[in-house]
Amino acid sequence: MRIIDAHTHPVFMHDGATPAAARRLVAHGRAHGIVKMVALGDVLVHGRLPSAAQCRRINDETAQLKRWHPDYFIGFCCLNPTLGARAVEREVERCVTQHGFRGIKLEISNNARDACMGAVMAAARRWNLIVLQHTWSQTNIHQRRFHSDPADTAWLARRHPDVSVIMAHLTGCGYRGVLEAKGLPNLFVDTSGAFPEAEILDFAVQELGAERILYGSDLPIRETSVTVGRVLGARLTAVERRLILHDNAAKLFRL
Amino acid sequence: MLIDANVALGPWPFAPLPERTAPQLVAQLKSHGVNRALVSHLGAIFLPEPMPANRALFAAVRRTPALLPVPVINPALATWREHLAACIAAAPIRAVKIIPAYHNYSLRLPALAPFVAAVNAAGLRLIVATRLEDERHRYHALAVKGLPVAQLAAFLARFPATHFVCSGLYKPEIETLAATHENFSADIAFAEWLNTLALLTQKIPARRLLLGTNTPLFDTRAQVDKLRLARLPAKTLALIGSANAARLFGL
Repeated sequence: MRIIDAHTHPVFMHDGATPAAARRLVAHGRAHGIVKMVALGDVLVHGRLPSAAQCRRINDETAQLKRWHPDYFIGFCCLNPTLGARAVEREVERCVTQHGFRGIKLEISNNARDACMGAVMAAARRWNLIVLQHTWSQTNIHQRRFHSDPADTAWLARRHPDVSVIMAHLTGCGYRGVLEAKGLPNLFVDTSGAFPEAEILDFAVQELGAERILYGSDLPIRETSVTVGRVLGARLTAVERRLILHDNAAKLFRL
Repeated sequence: MLIDANVALGPWPFAPLPERTAPQLVAQLKSHGVNRALVSHLGAIFLPEPMPANRALFAAVRRTPALLPVPVINPALATWREHLAACIAAAPIRAVKIIPAYHNYSLRLPALAPFVAAVNAAGLRLIVATRLEDERHRYHALAVKGLPVAQLAAFLARFPATHFVCSGLYKPEIETLAATHENFSADIAFAEWLNTLALLTQKIPARRLLLGTNTPLFDTRAQVDKLRLARLPAKTLALIGSANAARLFGL
């Protein structure tokens, strides 16, 4: 079983930024069949509105992981879109040209519908990057001013059909979120985040098709055996399982 | 051989979960290596009083010895003594469960003193269910929150001679309580972080942790793999997987 983990935070609240910690994580991943990890950065270490310098530090840590394990980590560029178009363009260009990053990671600096996302999507288009948007149902959280609901991330994907968007956190998006993602071929959903609630992955496969779902763990917040186990525990065919655990990500990330 | 301390039968109204019969539940658990399970009925959470659901539970598991019924008692009801006695008379039970957050009382409830005494006198273990689901995903019209850990700490301090089983605690909650209280064990259904059990067992002895899958709300395979694939000595895995439950529930 070969797995690509599309959603990890190898450095989290400063932990994990040493060569020894990175080695341990790679060994841990390989022991669970994970052949590559998308490293999204220590995205909340400076709060939800990191400065340009703080974004650079986060991305430099991701680049360091890539240098230590170039065949294992895929880097995504952490951004704060509210810093404006120039800051976004400058940091994306730096991450792509100097570090070979393959995507953009957006947390909770702003809602996915906000006007500042225009520059982010333009940069993604220019550099052929995938945009991974943290997403969680706001039904009970009530932070929609800066926290994207599945309806917001679906809106973003609908508005930019030429950019591939990953709506993170299947379980956090919930059944309503799965339905929001229907009919948007450029929108993918990752399985990361939250406890392994039964049946929602089965529902997502039924409604979206296995081709639109990527395995993600959200480690270290989540346990790898649990996040892989929920895919293995769902009522899926072998083909569907392989698509979710590996093939969809391999195709999307052009591996 | 695994014993699951946190399993349920019956309907859950907020998600399209499989509603299994007792034999189907046994087959589901066995397919993941679980041979015995402590089972409550989800209907006991929502009905005005839990006895119809408890009776349904006893009837459902009568011919499935792998499923050990754990009736739910609501000590805030005037008739809790009758309910407890009826449950003891109905089946050879090893434990009873309370679900304060869903039954609208706090652990400061005065009736809990005679209730705990009665449960102890009957030789039963009391399971305190602190949560059943991630509060962020609950049905929008429900206002139920997890039991506050400070309330649980005060409860444990109030009954120092009784050893409780707490289900549904998050990993940080287990660690917080373990720092100051020894009179509880916890299931691992809601405890999760990278290398969960290796980290948890640094904060609480393995002899106080129990496998709990929260089936059918959570995926059984994923929850069992948390234990099965943990990098811990076989003896530790055996404690969490079955020996602790066998000891605590007299199995």
